[in-house]
Amino acid sequence: MLQLQNITFTVPALDTGEKKAPSEQTIINDVSFTFEKGGFYAITGPNGSGKTTLAKLIMGINTLTEGKIFFNGTDISSLPINERSNAGIVYGFQHPARFKGTTFRDLLSISLGSDDEEKLVNIISRVGVCSMDFLDKPVDSKLSGGEIKKIELATVIARNPKVAIYDEPDTGIDLWTIGPMVDLLKREQKENNTTTIVVSHNKTFLEAADTLLLIKKGKIAYTGDLEGAMPMLEDLSVCAFDDLCQGEDNAKCYR
Amino acid sequence: MTYAKEKIMLNAIDKKVLKEVADLEGLPKGAYNIRKNGKLEGREVSANINIETNEKGDGIIIDIKPGTVNESVHIPVILSQAGLHDVVYNTFIIGEGSDVTIVAGCGIHCGSNESEGHSGIHEFHIKAGAKVKYVEKHIAIGKGSGKRILNPTTKVFMEENAQAQMELTQLGGVDEAKRFNEAWIGAGSVLLITERVMTEKEQSAESKNEITLAGTDSKTNIVSRSVIKGSSSQDFYVNLTAKARCYGHIECDAIIMDNGINQTIPALRALHPDAELTHEASIGKIANDQLMKLMTLGLNYDQAVNRIIQGFLR
Repeated sequence: MLQLQNITFTVPALDTGEKKAPSEQTIINDVSFTFEKGGFYAITGPNGSGKTTLAKLIMGINTLTEGKIFFNGTDISSLPINERSNAGIVYGFQHPARFKGTTFRDLLSISLGSDDEEKLVNIISRVGVCSMDFLDKPVDSKLSGGEIKKIELATVIARNPKVAIYDEPDTGIDLWTIGPMVDLLKREQKENNTTTIVVSHNKTFLEAADTLLLIKKGKIAYTGDLEGAMPMLEDLSVCAFDDLCQGEDNAKCYR
Repeated sequence: MTYAKEKIMLNAIDKKVLKEVADLEGLPKGAYNIRKNGKLEGREVSANINIETNEKGDGIIIDIKPGTVNESVHIPVILSQAGLHDVVYNTFIIGEGSDVTIVAGCGIHCGSNESEGHSGIHEFHIKAGAKVKYVEKHIAIGKGSGKRILNPTTKVFMEENAQAQMELTQLGGVDEAKRFNEAWIGAGSVLLITERVMTEKEQSAESKNEITLAGTDSKTNIVSRSVIKGSSSQDFYVNLTAKARCYGHIECDAIIMDNGINQTIPALRALHPDAELTHEASIGKIANDQLMKLMTLGLNYDQAVNRIIQGFLR
């Protein structure tokens, strides 16, 4: 349904001053994978492994260096963001944009393609985690981290996406809301057959997923269920920088 | 004194201008004074709101009785005469404990190659405990090539525990604008100013503000939103001076598009140890993350830009 074919994304490397330093850095390295219709996928992996970049490549926010992306058999590799969105792919940002003057009502109306009050209220009830009085709040820097993530979630769902990508949807969300949020995504997956892709470190999301993708250094290191991933996840939780944090000049590491 | 309504003849251009500056479909309800091409076109007073021409004959005095609530005054100005540069001095006296809305504004319709302009000085005396909302819109339309010039001045004197909310808007069409806002805020009084200006082509707009927080526990919030398109330029200056225990905040944001240029100069002066003054200012292009967000919701680049600007200038 959504097929990544040998996709690679490189950026110019930082100039370290070293003569032999490589001129570019590979963030996503020759990744191939197919997301099946209606599946629930979790993408996890260490910080800086390329999870967000992979999600943004699917949405078209980052442009592929190599490879192709097919959506329902159509090559969408060169489509701009809005055309991918109109085809049914929507991405919820890890750090949502903050506007000046633009309200939640504005964003929701754009997403829904209608400013009909009843339809807006329906979406808010469907999402559940957003309070009705959010509607006329400006989506600006005054919102808390949790509030803006709930708004972000609602704007994604309002589009009735075929593929919904949520980048760390639990950032800033209180513990009591994570459960209902997982239930919501599961419900959307079941009722609307939404292909759901969640980038997360949160165990609740990893447990909810049918398939887990573990990204390490820009490559898929594992795909399968959570149980099978556990040895690798535990291995990744062991710090590899231990020897750097020793000695007189550094604080002792207690991990 | 009441002027007979049937005397007023509004033509199609006048109606269009009135719609733009005062959101009026025809003559307003309540008290009003319509000035057209430097002359009185029509006036209506109410039991609580009196309007009369001042002694010098260069403007009007709007006198609102103490305790007047939920009433409004419309004082639009229409300019459609080539070569005319109209100057007025209007004084508003807002009585104690009243709560009113004043809708002002000037619309220029320019049909020739001669310049047209309006310089309006509005002086407000806001008495103790009074609450006023002042809405002022400036627009210029018409196919003429003459320059459209608007130079508004606002002087505000607030006694104690008064509230004033001023919305000053100029959204396009005006070639040159020089605005001057001056305010003196008494104890416990609150002044909120929101200025929205959009310029394009070769237009220029300047706004100078001298705001004094004079009384104990006075407050002000000054918001400036600028959109600078084409090769236009906008300069925004504000001097916020605190002379008592008070709170003041300035927030100025400018979005530059095309080849626009902008200067934003906020200045804070605390002349009292308990003054609390803050400002935030930003100048830049439309933020990329905002564009990306709207594009993920299906808007193309140009539609996304328009929606962001619309919200910003709201």
